[in-house]
Amino acid sequence: MASSAAPSPSEVLSLFRSLLRTAREFSDYNIREYMRRRTIDAFRENKLLEKASSVVAAYSDGRNQLLVAKRQSVVYSMYAPGVKSIMEVRGSSGD
Amino acid sequence: MAMKAAVLRHIRLSAAPTRTLGLASPASCRWGGVLGSVFRSLSSHGDDHLSKDEVVDRVLSVVKSFPKVDPSSVTPDVHFQKDLGLDSLDNVEIVMALEEEFKLEIPDLEADKIDSTRLAIEYIYNHPMAG
Repeated sequence: MASSAAPSPSEVLSLFRSLLRTAREFSDYNIREYMRRRTIDAFRENKLLEKASSVVAAYSDGRNQLLVAKRQSVVYSMYAPGVKSIMEVRGSSGD
Repeated sequence: MAMKAAVLRHIRLSAAPTRTLGLASPASCRWGGVLGSVFRSLSSHGDDHLSKDEVVDRVLSVVKSFPKVDPSSVTPDVHFQKDLGLDSLDNVEIVMALEEEFKLEIPDLEADKIDSTRLAIEYIYNHPMAG
């Protein structure tokens, strides 16, 4: 496989945004929050990467994760339970 | 939830009858034709536009509640990266939080340009679907 050039900053931000948007689409509260947290943590951690090859690897890993997440959000929505998670109920005590 | 949003979108479109029939996709044509006349009278599109003050208040409260931001330095004309010391990732996060607050979908091209409270307020105030 030919080595690809490092992604531009705007491509990285675009991937970041796509991952966060896909996270929002999950009907399951837990997955939604986890995906959001994990995306933010991973991008922060990788922000300091210097080697071009590491950047390329992280970027393509992110892209693969995005594809998995997109498929999974569809599958999860097919089997979503009717009841919302307690964390999503506004006005519950301790809020 | 998505159904409700889709219906609301069609209701609002039906408020301007002559324009929307041209724009309508095959799916929304049914809504426009069957329900257009009903919803035209119910939808008071002019009234439910947000006031500038409300937009300013809500935008500032979203920015202030961002964990990395110092609330006392947030004004209606503050730059996210230059004044608040945030980076581009934080910028994306803030714009996403604004999308959630105002129930909007901001296209990437526009979202990339929003880098200050002033631009955010301007964009949201001028957006017909801000809620």
